Amino acid sequence: MVGPTATLTPLARADGSASYQCPSTGSNILGSVNAPVELPGRRDALKPEDATVEVFVKPGTAPAGVSERYVEGIIKGVLGRLILGRERGYPRRGVVVTLATVGGESVGRGDSYLTLLPALLHTALLALLSASVPLSMTFSATVLAVCDSGDIIREPSTEQAAAAKSLHVLAFSSKGHLLLNESQGAFDFEAWEKVHQRALAICHGTSAIGSDGDIAMVEDVDGQPLEGTMRETIEDQVHRDYAWKIDAV
Amino acid sequence: MASAAPSVPPSLTLPPSQFARLQPHAYLLAHLSPPASSNQPSIRANGRAPSQFRVTSANTGSLTHTNGSAVVRVGDTTAVCGVRAEILPTDDIASWSVSHSSSSTNKRRKLTNPAQKPTQDDNEEEDPEDETHIQQLNLLVPNLSLSTGCAPGFIPGAPPSALAQSLSHQILNLLHTTRLVRAEDLRIWYQPPSLGSEDLERHNGSEQMDVDTERGEEVGKDKEIKAFWVLYIDIMIISLAGNPFDAAWAAVLAALRDTKLPRAWWDVDNEMVVCSDAVSESRKLSLRGLPVASSFCVFEADAAAGWRAVIIPDAEEEREIEESARKGIQRRWILADPDGYEEGLTQERVSIVVDKEQGGKGKTVIVKMEKNGGWAVDGKELKALVDISAQRWEEVKHILEQC
Repeated sequence: MVGPTATLTPLARADGSASYQCPSTGSNILGSVNAPVELPGRRDALKPEDATVEVFVKPGTAPAGVSERYVEGIIKGVLGRLILGRERGYPRRGVVVTLATVGGESVGRGDSYLTLLPALLHTALLALLSASVPLSMTFSATVLAVCDSGDIIREPSTEQAAAAKSLHVLAFSSKGHLLLNESQGAFDFEAWEKVHQRALAICHGTSAIGSDGDIAMVEDVDGQPLEGTMRETIEDQVHRDYAWKIDAV
Repeated sequence: MASAAPSVPPSLTLPPSQFARLQPHAYLLAHLSPPASSNQPSIRANGRAPSQFRVTSANTGSLTHTNGSAVVRVGDTTAVCGVRAEILPTDDIASWSVSHSSSSTNKRRKLTNPAQKPTQDDNEEEDPEDETHIQQLNLLVPNLSLSTGCAPGFIPGAPPSALAQSLSHQILNLLHTTRLVRAEDLRIWYQPPSLGSEDLERHNGSEQMDVDTERGEEVGKDKEIKAFWVLYIDIMIISLAGNPFDAAWAAVLAALRDTKLPRAWWDVDNEMVVCSDAVSESRKLSLRGLPVASSFCVFEADAAAGWRAVIIPDAEEEREIEESARKGIQRRWILADPDGYEEGLTQERVSIVVDKEQGGKGKTVIVKMEKNGGWAVDGKELKALVDISAQRWEEVKHILEQC
């Protein structure tokens, strides 16, 4: 299976940015983060000790509509708990995350955003890391479709997702917590547990945590765990950014 | 001045209502974790047990100008839902003649007789392609309005807030994924009279060769869809005290159960769809199942987490800690059906929509399961919440059947 590819800091003007391509769902997302910024509409009465997280999602071909509001709310819920909005310089200010669909299928009226959601979440995370926003944990997310036969398809295409019996998006933190679950379509709890297990394997590999507390990344049928892919993307970028320093030593 | 009575030190006790406003988090925490010496049970500030839902009532058919309507009250959250049906002629669908003319004369299309309506518990599978009409042609149009002065934060007459928009989307998406409304109920058919010679004598026998009454298998050959019913489902939250989704969805469900569509047929002479105004000829929608939504939130004891360096234990370690052994800041409670006060104090939300097969006798089917905003709820907790939602399904079914 071809894993996703990502680039950090493709945009020069934003504080942080990332572009992310997922070949299996065909999505291509460009994200930017500006933080901390002064928000004009912010009301101090609302949580004065915390930063405000704003998420904007822009679909590929149409102006943003009702379903974008919904997916913005989901992303805000995930990021809001991870961003340390009480660190120095952040309270009363805003973290603005903008995610634009550059390529891939667009989502119609009333359709779910679930196939695109992991790509959006990963882009937002990489852009936040690129902007050096303090986070308590990182995460990785995946989308799984359960067919009528009970098979689980990883990262289905739009057609596969439309034909599937149920569709699940799960996000796991770097410490193994279930951060987000969005499931729709008819299923029972046993089916969900299978999906949960598979998603955990995709995000974290099969053996979760080693004896020394490090997360062991083991490759299996699903290829490299997503958590590792994300980590490597960041490591590569850091190596490139500090090449002058590393070479000097 | 000096002769005034010696000043009494101001009292430091506060009435509970003031304490609730000044220190909302500590107030709820004190209710949920009473000191062991006081011998009081752990109870929420609103007097409910953690997994107890608010009193729910439903009333249908209140709005006379709609095809179906309902008022659902969950505690102090009240949702009014009206369903209006309008006719969408296929001539007005731009892509109709191209994409559907072939399938509309489909011979294998299963014809359902309105007289023997399929009951709710039969799980007969219709052609899945048949069902895409609802989604492709947007035959269901829900809209939720919060700009009614329902809560202090929502200004009346303001544009739809992000919450109202995402709730509208959730309801539309749930209507699509549960396939609650049958596409067959929304179609208006036309049976061209067969003028062939072999049919002539039969024509004399049955004078009332009507589209809706006569639906034999052999005369169904040239049947044509002439129009669709479009259902405009408008929901107004007239009072918001937390958990708008459960109330709104219950209102949609109750209103759709109440919806009656008049008998409609294609009038060849006028080339238009005409409706009968006889109530006895109207028919109800036959819905698929009865999905019921239940929402939960997670209240965490650790209010000050943000001020300290955040050290989050690994998920594996965390599973080791038994809920009873959790103490101090690690404690958390999963609260069912949060009211507005509790919603303001919590971040993690769980929303589960369940249905039961064969009208309650079969096994529980999860239709939608959402969890966001934290890491307290994992597989084990979700399993318990699905069981609570299944119990809630029984309650709501009882309430909806009575109204």
